[in-house]
Amino acid sequence: MDQTLYLIGLNHKTAGVEIRESYALTDCDPRAQGLVTDTGPISEAVLLSTCNRVEIMAVADQGTPPEVILEFWAKACGGSVGTLAPHVYIHQGLDAVNHVFTVASSLDSMVMGEPQILGQLKDAYRNSVEHNTSRVVLNRLLHKAFTVGKRVRTETAIASSAVSISYAAVELAKKIFGDMGDNTALLIGAGEMAELAAMHLVNAGIKEVLVSNRTFTRAEELAGRFNGRAIHFNELMRRLPEADIIISSTGATEAIIHAKDIKPVLKARKNRPMFFIDIAVPRDIDPDVNALDNVYLYDIDDLKEVVEENLAQRREEAVKAEAIIESETAQFALWLESLDLKPTIVDLLEQGEDIGRRELAKTLKRLGPDLPPETEEALETLVTSLVHKLYHEPINFLKRRTQEEGKAGRFIDSTRRMFNLDHEQIPTDAHARRKNVVPLRRDCTLPPDGGDASDSEENNG
Amino acid sequence: MEFVNLIEIAVVALYLSGAALYPAGMLGRKPMLMRLAGLTAGGGFILHTLRIALMFASTKHMTFTQGGLYFSLMAWVVLLVFFTISWRKKLEFMALAASPLALLLYLSSIALPDSVVKMPDNLSGLFFTLHIGSLFVSISLLAMAFAAGALFLHIEKKIKTKEKLAGFRKDLPSLNTFDLANKWAVNWGFPLYSVGLLAGFVWGRFTWGKLLTWDPKEIVSLLIWMLYAFLFHQRLAQGWRGGKAAKLAMLVFIFSIASLVGVNFLTQSHHNF
Repeated sequence: MDQTLYLIGLNHKTAGVEIRESYALTDCDPRAQGLVTDTGPISEAVLLSTCNRVEIMAVADQGTPPEVILEFWAKACGGSVGTLAPHVYIHQGLDAVNHVFTVASSLDSMVMGEPQILGQLKDAYRNSVEHNTSRVVLNRLLHKAFTVGKRVRTETAIASSAVSISYAAVELAKKIFGDMGDNTALLIGAGEMAELAAMHLVNAGIKEVLVSNRTFTRAEELAGRFNGRAIHFNELMRRLPEADIIISSTGATEAIIHAKDIKPVLKARKNRPMFFIDIAVPRDIDPDVNALDNVYLYDIDDLKEVVEENLAQRREEAVKAEAIIESETAQFALWLESLDLKPTIVDLLEQGEDIGRRELAKTLKRLGPDLPPETEEALETLVTSLVHKLYHEPINFLKRRTQEEGKAGRFIDSTRRMFNLDHEQIPTDAHARRKNVVPLRRDCTLPPDGGDASDSEENNG
Repeated sequence: MEFVNLIEIAVVALYLSGAALYPAGMLGRKPMLMRLAGLTAGGGFILHTLRIALMFASTKHMTFTQGGLYFSLMAWVVLLVFFTISWRKKLEFMALAASPLALLLYLSSIALPDSVVKMPDNLSGLFFTLHIGSLFVSISLLAMAFAAGALFLHIEKKIKTKEKLAGFRKDLPSLNTFDLANKWAVNWGFPLYSVGLLAGFVWGRFTWGKLLTWDPKEIVSLLIWMLYAFLFHQRLAQGWRGGKAAKLAMLVFIFSIASLVGVNFLTQSHHNF
């Protein structure tokens, strides 16, 4: 390929939040702002800009220095290359491909395995298609990245366990109650993490949320957010039997719920199980509560331990994911090589000759064994000549384009796809799927699968 | 080798596959193996049905009291109950108990000698059938309650002690599901056990002229019934659930099996094989 693939970017590991904010490329159009032009060295670009990551993927003419992209970036954000450069990483060629696949697989995210990044990458790609800045190479790269991201999620357990305190609590609640459509949650205190856990519970389909707080107006405000009900703090023990999941996060200096308080509550509930999540420090709930039948208590340390274990599991799964990325990068390298004209001509003629040979064999079989050798030879010549003549004009067209424009990539790619020279399996519903493209989210909030990126102690990639 | 023997070998092979593949699939988290286990157990069940039909067709004076047929029917009912539960309640994990139990019972049925005793006549036959049928279904339900109870206790211990739920444990249903399965099996099992016992006493009245003959099996069965009644009452009236109910259901099942094997084989009773 007579062009170079660049990936220039910064992320949560290389830059602080101030730099990330200053050099965000939200709503930036690389064509309108002069990075991608019909005559300039950069022919394609995709900009990815999220809370934790800003990256420019670009296809440039051979010999184009990456500084061209860096200068565009600094200028687009009203900053300077001098400020930006120390925080930036630059990947070229297959390293860039590998990095894109790593990002799509969420291995480079702050919370490894979080699902949001793939959606954000799709958003970025959609923008580039709208602005007409993505062509053969980046089209292929991004599509491949989506496939790799999906493959990693399905073939490894990288995203199978909760890695945030609040989501781990909800996962445990599911392990106790199963479908939570009949369960009621009670928030005691209105801490941020309790609120996040409640949000996860609502997403998991909990029937109702009750909120009790020393300041009743705050309880009302929070309950309103979940379409729930506020209850007065002094009514707490009386209303406790209504709750299946209790999330406590008050600022009390001593335990507010003791085992002896729970016994009559359980009786009133006919022993239906209760799950206490104590995320207050110091703790709100006496640890003895866990010893009661049908009562389960997890405090902040227990939940942290669950999260640590799950993170360790994700790190193990990352090794498998890296192997997938390596193999996909190698395949992409083959495709990039094929964008040169010569291998495409060879593949095209080989395919044609192969078809010809197969058809000839069928015809010879039909004509029988008594066919004179000279007739057989003539037929062979006819087939070869026919194949070469048929492909003559398409090959000439590709050669002309290469000579005239110096970058016939998209024609070569079209030819390869038209004749399926890469022997890709095309799904029968490929066309239908293209028609039904669903708009993607652009926010940095709760992931669609109830993931964990929204916890206060975390962020997304 | 006779056709019937071939069927027996095939049933054992299929039940064995079912009993081995389900836990293997669960431990290895391979749903395909679990589906295969269901298919092999299903195949075995069909052949087993054929085997029982052939047995009835070939012997005019067959009776349920012969050991081989008794155990064979028991294995068949265990699987029938399991398939019904899987289909109606989506409790496939019960295969953990059903498949090995069916295999064990079927192997026992082959090992036991065939002694033909005359089938009871008329009204006596009806009560006898009710006695055996109800008790078999009830014991099969107890087996399901045992499996659900054991899994409940295992997972509950993990949650209580804050141990990590890894591997197949992670894929298991919730505690609530195990408890509901246990409750469901007990709520259906106890009335059936009661009907089975009552029908047995009525049959005894027809056969021996009195309701209660103080046979060891009768006494043990009455004791099990009392324990079972206590569990049923505590679940319904006192709202027992979770670990306590699971443990008691498991105990009732263990006593039932002990009674089935111990009393029927080791004591002098009407129920000897």
